[in-house]
Amino acid sequence: MGIVLLAVPLLCLLVFFLHPLATVLVRSVTDANGAWTLANYGRLFDDPGLPRAASRSLAIGLATTLCTVSLGLCLAMALHRSRLPGKALIRGALLLPMLAPSLVLALGLVCLLGRNGLVHRLTGLPTDIYGFWGLLIANTLYGLPQVVIIVSAALGRTPARHYDAAESMGATPWRQFLDVTIPRLRFALLAAAFLVFTETLTDFGSAVVVGGSYRVLAVEIYGEVVGQLDFAMGATLGVVLLAPALLSVWLARLAKRRQDTGDASPGRTLVPARHPWRDVALGGISLLALLPLVGVVATVAYVSVVKLWPYDRTLTLANYIGGMPDGYGPVATSITMSLLAACAGVLLVFALSAGLRRAPPFIAKPAQLIASLPAAVPGLVLGLGYVLAFNHGPLSSWLYGSVAIVAACSLFHYHAQAFLTMQTGMRQVPEALDDAVAVSGGTTFHVLRDAVWPFAAPAAISTFFYLFMRSMVTLSGVIFLVTPELGLASVTVMRLDENGFLAQAAAYAMCVVLASALALGAMRLILHVLKDRRHVA
Amino acid sequence: MHLRIDDITKAWNGHTVLDGVSFDAGESEFVCLLGPSGCGKTTLLRIVAGLTAADTGRVILGGRDISALPARERRMGLVFQAYSLFPDMTAAANVGYPMRLRRDAPAKIAARCSELLERVGLGGLGARFPDELSGGQQQRVALARALATEPAMLLLDEPLSALDPAIRGQLRSEIRLLQRALGIPTIMVTHDQEEALAMADTIVCMNRGRIEQTGSPRDLYERPRSRFVAEFIGRANLLPTAFVREAMPGFLERRPPGDGATYELCLRPEDIVIESDPRGEAVIEDTVFLGNLARITLAWRGRKLLVEQPGRSALGRGEPVSVDALRGAWVCA
Repeated sequence: MGIVLLAVPLLCLLVFFLHPLATVLVRSVTDANGAWTLANYGRLFDDPGLPRAASRSLAIGLATTLCTVSLGLCLAMALHRSRLPGKALIRGALLLPMLAPSLVLALGLVCLLGRNGLVHRLTGLPTDIYGFWGLLIANTLYGLPQVVIIVSAALGRTPARHYDAAESMGATPWRQFLDVTIPRLRFALLAAAFLVFTETLTDFGSAVVVGGSYRVLAVEIYGEVVGQLDFAMGATLGVVLLAPALLSVWLARLAKRRQDTGDASPGRTLVPARHPWRDVALGGISLLALLPLVGVVATVAYVSVVKLWPYDRTLTLANYIGGMPDGYGPVATSITMSLLAACAGVLLVFALSAGLRRAPPFIAKPAQLIASLPAAVPGLVLGLGYVLAFNHGPLSSWLYGSVAIVAACSLFHYHAQAFLTMQTGMRQVPEALDDAVAVSGGTTFHVLRDAVWPFAAPAAISTFFYLFMRSMVTLSGVIFLVTPELGLASVTVMRLDENGFLAQAAAYAMCVVLASALALGAMRLILHVLKDRRHVA
Repeated sequence: MHLRIDDITKAWNGHTVLDGVSFDAGESEFVCLLGPSGCGKTTLLRIVAGLTAADTGRVILGGRDISALPARERRMGLVFQAYSLFPDMTAAANVGYPMRLRRDAPAKIAARCSELLERVGLGGLGARFPDELSGGQQQRVALARALATEPAMLLLDEPLSALDPAIRGQLRSEIRLLQRALGIPTIMVTHDQEEALAMADTIVCMNRGRIEQTGSPRDLYERPRSRFVAEFIGRANLLPTAFVREAMPGFLERRPPGDGATYELCLRPEDIVIESDPRGEAVIEDTVFLGNLARITLAWRGRKLLVEQPGRSALGRGEPVSVDALRGAWVCA
C-alpha cells in the first residue's frame, strides 16, 4: 500500500504539473509546423517593448524586495522586540493580504489615489497612482506578511541568554541589535528577499490593474496569449520569466537551509527591555506600512457600497443585490473550484508526504524536488501550459472548460507550500509510534490512521484551508482557463475594472474577501477545538 | 520459545553496523544486549522484531526461520524508550490496541486490559490519557500493551533510559519480577552496565557491530575476556604483562601463552588489598568518601591504581601502603 500512496500523487504531479510545464517549454522552441527552432527567442528582440518589459519586471522586483524586506523587518521587530501596545492590531492588519488578492489591493489603491480617486475627489490634489509607484506600493503591501512571518520565526529562535550575555559584557541595545540579532537574521532575510522577489516578478493582478503603461513581463505574456493569440510568443516570454524565478526560489531554499535551527534548549523567554524611543520609531514605521494596507482594503469596501464610483457616492447595497453583471455565479464557481482544489490537494499532499516518510533517498529526493518545483513556476506559465496541454488531445472535450481543470491548475500552482506545510506536520509523528503499530499487527492503513493522523491532523487542516484561500484569490493561474460559461470571482474583478465598473468590481472583491475571511475563521476555530480536545502535546 | 540469531550482518550507507552476530536465547531467559552507542544493539533488536531486514543471516524462533516474516506477523511484544503510546487513546485503549487489531471480542479485550494494568501496577488508571501519566507510568502501559497478545518474546529497547534515576531502579526490579512470573523470553537493549548486571540472566556485550563476550553477569565481571569488556562492565585496573612480571609475579602462572603485548591483567578495585606499611612501595594519592565505600587512588611503580574499600578508610593522602590482590583475570588487550 505504501507504493500506492506515492504513486497516485506523483502521477498527478506528472500529468498536471510537469506535463503542462514541458508543453510550454516545447512550445517556445517549436514553430507553427512543429519543427524545432529558436526563432521565437529571436523574435523577443523584434519588439523593443519586450526587453523593456523584462527589465521593468526586474526593476520592480528589486525595488519591491528592498521596501518589503526593510518594512517587514521593522514590523517583525515591532512584534517581537518592542513593548508596543496593540500588537494584535498589527497581526490583524497583516492578515489582510491573505484574504485579498494583489488585484484587490491594486484596485483599492486606484480608487484611493487614482486620477479619479477618493483623495483627488476630496482634496483636489492631482493624484495619479498608475505606473511604477502604484505597482511598487501594491506589491510591497502584498509581500509584507510573508517577510514578517519568516523574520518572526527567526527572531523567535534567538535565545534570551545571548542578549543577557551581550548585556553583561556592556553592549548597548543598538550594538546588541547589530551583533546578536542581525547575524541570526541573515539567512532569514535572504530567504524572505528571494521569495518576495519571485512573487513580485511573477505577479499579474497588480500589474494589470495599477501598472498602467509600465508594462511588465507578466502583462506582456497575457497580451500575447489573449490579445494576439500568439501562444508561441507567450510560451517564450513565459520561459524568460521562469528562469529568474527558478534561480530565485533555489537561492531562497539555500538560504532557508543555512538558517539557524535554534539552540537545543530555548531557555527563558525574551522580554523586551524598556526603550521608549525604539518603540516610538518602530510604531511609526508600522503605522506607515500598515495604514495604507488597511486604508486600501477599507477603500474597496467603501467603493463596493457606492452607487456610481466615483461620481455618485451615495451609499447603496445595489451592487450586491441585483447589481452584479453576472450575478453570484462567479463567486459560487470560485468557491466550488476552491473546495475542489482544497479537497483533492490535501488528499494528494497527505498521501505524498506520508508515503515519503520511509522512502529510500533515491525516491525521496527527486519526489521532494518535483513537489517543491511549483513554487518557482509563475501562475501565468502554468495556466498557459494547461491551455496548450489540455485544450487539444484526447481528454480536451472533457477537461477544457470544466471546474476540475481550473481546480487542478490552482492546486498545483500552490502545491509547493501545501506540501511543505504537510511535511512539517508529518515530522511531528514520533517514529516509535509507527513501529508500535507494526509490531501490534497493523498494516500501512493502521499506521496512517492510528499513528500518523493524530499528529498530522492540524497540518492537514491548515493545508486544506491554505489551498482553499489561495484558490479563492488566485488570478494568474486561472486567467487563461476561464470561459464564457465558467467565470471566476477574481477574473470578474479584473474584467470589471478593465471596463471601468469599479463599484461592481469592488463588490465582487469584497465577496472574495468575505469568503476568505470566513474560511480563515473556520480554520482557526477547528484548530483551536482540535487542540483543546487532543492530548497530543 | 528458543531464539537463535545466526550470523547476522547489516550495513547502512557502506558502514557496517552488524558484523556476523550470532547468539542463543533460551526459554524464559532474560538476555541483555549491552554496549556503547553505535555498537549495533538496537539494530539487532529491530532485526529480531522484523522492523529492519538483515543483509545476511537468519532469525530462528522455536525452530522456525522467521527472517522473512514482516513485523506484524511475528507476535513479539516491543517496548520502546519513549513516545510510543497513542496520545489520543486512554491507557486501557492503548493496551487493548493489538487485540482490537486482531478483532478479539470486546468483553475479552476489556477483561485482559484491566488484568494487565493490574499486573503492571496501574490498576484503576485505565481511563487516563498518556499525557496524564508520569514517564514511569507510561512505560508500564507500554509494557502492558506489549504483553497484551501473549507474545512469544518480549523485546525492550532501553525502556528505562528516559526515566528519572529514582523511578528507574524501581521499574527495573518490577520488570524483572514480571518477566520471571510470566516466564517469557526477553531481550533488553541497554547501555547501562549496572542495569544489565542487575537484570540479566545472560549478557551479550557488544562493541562496533561484534559480540565481545556472552555470559552470565558474574562471568563477564569476574572473567572478562577482553579489555573492552573489562572496562565497560565495572571498573578495572589493567596492568601490562611486563608490569605484572615485576610487581605481582604470582599471577604470571595463570597467564595464557602468547607474547608480551597480547594480555593484560585485570584487577577489580575491590579485589586489591592495601595495608599501611612504612616500607610499602605504593603511595596513596587521593581518597574519596562515598558513604558506604571509599575510593582510593594509588601511585605504584609509576602506575595509578584504583582501589575500593568497604566502609570508611583510615588511610590518608601520602601514606605508604603495601599492595596485594585477591584475584585477577587475564584479558586480551
